[in-house]
This record gives sequence, structure tokens and C-alpha cells, in this order.
Amino acid sequence: MAPSKTRTVKNKHAGSKSGAGAPGKGGASKRSSTDGVSKSKKPKGPVVSQQVKEKNRALLMKRPKKKTYTAEELGIPTLNMITPVGVEKPKGKKKGKVFVDDKESMTTILSLVQAEKEGHIESKIMKARQMEEIREARRLEAEKKSAEKKAKFEDTKESLRKKRKRKNDSEGGDNLKSISQTGSKAVKGSKKKVSFA
Amino acid sequence: MRPLTEEETQAVFKKLAEYTGASLKNIIAPQEDGDRNVFRLSQNRVYLVRLSMANLATSIARDNLLSLGTCLGKFTKSGKFRIHITALPILAEHARHKLWIRPNGVMPFLYGGNIVKAHVGRYSEDCPEHQGLVVYTMDDVPLGFGVSARSTAESRRLDPTGVMCFRQADCGEYLRDEDTLFQSG
Repeated sequence: MAPSKTRTVKNKHAGSKSGAGAPGKGGASKRSSTDGVSKSKKPKGPVVSQQVKEKNRALLMKRPKKKTYTAEELGIPTLNMITPVGVEKPKGKKKGKVFVDDKESMTTILSLVQAEKEGHIESKIMKARQMEEIREARRLEAEKKSAEKKAKFEDTKESLRKKRKRKNDSEGGDNLKSISQTGSKAVKGSKKKVSFA
Repeated sequence: MRPLTEEETQAVFKKLAEYTGASLKNIIAPQEDGDRNVFRLSQNRVYLVRLSMANLATSIARDNLLSLGTCLGKFTKSGKFRIHITALPILAEHARHKLWIRPNGVMPFLYGGNIVKAHVGRYSEDCPEHQGLVVYTMDDVPLGFGVSARSTAESRRLDPTGVMCFRQADCGEYLRDEDTLFQSG
């Protein structure tokens, strides 16, 4: 590290020479700034102004070339045109907001709003009543159906009970016969029965 | 401070008519002393104020005028009108449908809850669904307002925990929304 530093310090002139030979930054810029400024300033001034004038001229020449076409010139069909809300300004109309402060117009607005609201509420109530009627009819129908179902079920239950009773009766007749044959009730007493409802 | 435009007046009346009946016209009717109430818009808030007072208030700079008359509500950025709890005295006076709540339901309502059937003492007949209601205690003290969740007929079949009224505003807002309810400069 150290030897490289010393080398750069010692070769001051050599470095400048080498800088002049090679494309060095410092040397080249200095020369150009010191040598050419005083000589080149005078002739450069008018050249710049000429250039600006030329540019202006070019701009001036260019500007009128841009032509804006109106809708009529382009021949756009009128039906396709959309005029934005903000752009359209009716001539005779008052500028800005129109306030409502007099009693008559306020009453008019209120009566309009109230009539509308009344209508809404009425229709809502009517609708609710109709829905209620439909619901009631459905409920009655469902009740009727369930009652019918229950009655049918009861009938079948009854019929089954009757059948069972008949069987029992026939069984009872056999027992009597057997009792009469054997002469004792011992067998009947031992038999237990369970019946529902 | 300025009067309302036609659209704004319509929006305000539409919202008020949700809760009030035909007697709403009395709020803009001329009074005995020849004065009448007018609407005034100040910083997006709508005030119902006596015309004489509104005329006097024109001498106060727009920025310095905090409030005047009764604040009914405010216009949102989208142009809708939102009614505030401060409009309750006017709504309570002209209410179309009413709902009275039992003492056990007062605190839940004032804390911002909806009204369940168990808390309802009595309610107006023939009230359709989603209709504005003014809520009172059993002693007829107005507490707030809301929107009916079900029609009267349907709510009869409702179980005790079922919601009967969706809260819109309650007096608890005076404490809860103290910072935003009134403008501060």
C-alpha cells in the first residue's frame, strides 16, 4: 500500500505528461478553459443569437401549421355528440344556485314529498296485508291437512285395535274351553298382559 | 349560511317525512307573531331557525357562526341528508309511528343497541316494514328514533330476542359523539 502512494507523489510531472498524452480529465479541461475563452467569446455571441432567432423562426413557422378543426368542419354527426353538463351554459338563466326560501314553494315541495311518501306507505301496508292474508290461508290449509292426517292415523289405530281385540276374543274362547276341559283357572292367572292407551 | 336549493329542500323533507306524518307542514307554517321557521345551511349542516334570527345571523361571519336554531342533520359528500339526534324534538312532536320501550330496555337502547321484542312495551298499529319510528319511554319521554325491522303483524309472532327496531339515533349520542355532533370551528 505505502509504495504506491509514494510513487504518485514523486511522479508529479510525469503524471501531467502522461495526462496530456492520455485522455486525462484535469489537464484537458484546464487548457480548454484558459486558452479558448477570451478569443472565442466575441465570435460565439452573435452565433448563439442567430441560432435562437432561427429557432424562433422555426417555431413561428410551425405554429400556424397546427390547425384545430371544429365539429362542423369534421362533419361529425350531431347525434353522436355529447355536451358535458358543466360546459353547457344557457344564456338567459341565472348563474349559480336557485334558493328556495319563500313559504309557497316550500309548502309545494313538502306536499309533493308527503304525497309520495303516503303512496309508498300505503302500498307497503297493502302489500303487508296481502302477504298476511296469503300466510293466513296457507296456515289454515296446513292445519286442515294436518288434522286430516291425524284423523286418518287415528282411524288406522282404531282399526288395528279392533283387530287385536277380535283375536283376543277368539283366544279367550279357547281358554274357556280348556278351563272347562281341565276344570281349573291356574293357567289364565299366570298370563300377564300389557296394553297401550 | 344560505337557504337550501330545491333539491336540498326535497332531500330534507323526504327524510323528515320518513318519521313524521301530515303535521310536518306545521313546522314551516307561519306563527302567531308573524314569524316563520326556515331552513338554513351552514357548513353542510341544516338548521331549522326562525326567519328573524336567521336574518340577524347574517351579521356573523361564516367561519364564526357555530350553530343557530335547531340542527336537523347534515348533507353527506354524496348529497344525501343524514338526520341527527338533535332533530328529535321536532320528530317527536310530529311522529307518525311510535314505539314505547320498557324501563329494562332503556339503557340498552341509549348505549346504541337495536330494540328487541322483550324490551317493547307497546307500539303503533299498522306500521309497515322499514318505516321510521320514534322511540319513547313508557312515560312518553322521547329517547331516539329508528327503523322498524318488521311489520306490526309480523312482529307479533316474533320471539322475545328478535329485533323489532333498528336504531338510527339515540340520546346517548350527545355523550358518545360529543366531538363530532357539533362543529368546532
